[in-house]
Amino acid sequence: MNLDKFIKDFEEAVEDIEPGSLSAATEFKQLEAWDSLAILTVTDVIDMEYGVLLSKQCLEGMKTLEELYQFVLSKQ
Amino acid sequence: MAKCSFNQVQLGGVVTCVPSLVKCIDDEVDLFGGSEKQIMRLKKTIGLDRRRVVEPGTTAVDLCEAAARRLLSGAELKTDSIDAMIFVTQTPDHTQPCNAAVLHGRLDLPKSCAAFDVNLGCSGYVYGLWLAHMMVSAGGCGRVLLLAGDTVSQIVNPRDRAVAPLFGDGGSATLIQLSGVESNSWFSLETDGKGFDKLIVPAGGQRAPSSAATRAEVTDEVGNIRSAENLFMDGAEIFNFSIVEEPKAVKDLLEYAGLDLDSVDYFVFHQANRYILSNIAKRLKIDLAKVPMQTVGSYGNQSSASIPSALCGELGELLRGATSQRLLLSGFGVGLSWASVLLDVAQLSVCEIIESVSSASKA
Repeated sequence: MNLDKFIKDFEEAVEDIEPGSLSAATEFKQLEAWDSLAILTVTDVIDMEYGVLLSKQCLEGMKTLEELYQFVLSKQ
Repeated sequence: MAKCSFNQVQLGGVVTCVPSLVKCIDDEVDLFGGSEKQIMRLKKTIGLDRRRVVEPGTTAVDLCEAAARRLLSGAELKTDSIDAMIFVTQTPDHTQPCNAAVLHGRLDLPKSCAAFDVNLGCSGYVYGLWLAHMMVSAGGCGRVLLLAGDTVSQIVNPRDRAVAPLFGDGGSATLIQLSGVESNSWFSLETDGKGFDKLIVPAGGQRAPSSAATRAEVTDEVGNIRSAENLFMDGAEIFNFSIVEEPKAVKDLLEYAGLDLDSVDYFVFHQANRYILSNIAKRLKIDLAKVPMQTVGSYGNQSSASIPSALCGELGELLRGATSQRLLLSGFGVGLSWASVLLDVAQLSVCEIIESVSSASKA
């Protein structure tokens, strides 16, 4: 897996996000579209694509997409 | 895993009663905080649309009574031929006595009939079928009437968009009886009580008795309003639970029965919402045509009545037919609790949805 693909998957999972508009440094919880529905769709994509199931607790300390990516990597 | 199989018990008929009042998420944008964009995303992604809800004063007993009367007349059964009744509900008329006793009286069933409630929600229909199969197999009960119904719309806060647009109401009646021919079924039943607080009505019982404080409405961090006596759901956790446990439970049950996915004609899951249903199907790699999921868009998540509702609404004609259908039914939710059954169904004397007469027109 690589970071670019991961960001692309994230963009696709969350509706109303322009492809290519996010980067590794994006603080994803600050996005307007980040809500309980986005948590579901992102959880779904990460489980299907990377085999890692996110929980609410593990998202708590995270800020950027790169941190989310590193977390998923560490759990694989 | 609690597993078991039976070979001389069959379903005789199923009827589900839905309220006549229709609600639609499109009309409720203001109620849910006024963000049309967010509601449209909910509608599209989760698959929310219409749902049927009771008018205040109508309960699961009323819906199940109508379903039971239609079932008894459709199956041409006299009330004295019913040996036991099981009522699955989490929205009973009273904390005491149980709904089964109330309905036993209303239906004028004989004193020789056993009657009790089971406090389970979305997994409850399959748990009820399991109990009924055991009661018939053990002897003494030739015919068991299983009622499964809830009016969850009455315990959600109308301004909590995490639950209010999801839940509808319904009441079902199912006949389980001794079979003259070999009729196989396999069950599995599971629980994760550590997740008890993920889907819960926190107050109003003995742990936190009703008070002014438990009735006070509070706004949470995302703007949803509820009291401690309303239903609370941690949607993300329930979603994770469903997509992890359900595919596993289906595979385990098939393995136990010595059957494969292809041998199943229809997978009838608890109609939670279309998003969860299609996700479970995707993970199991089963053809979506084998997974009824229209019911939830018409009636809402009907808790314990959702599986019988899908049987009646989407497979009714087929299940009344002569050709035996192999079904896998699986319910999952509050508890956390989940249960699955693999069974052959054919020639049901009745299998249909009926509408309840509204209390307004009754008066």
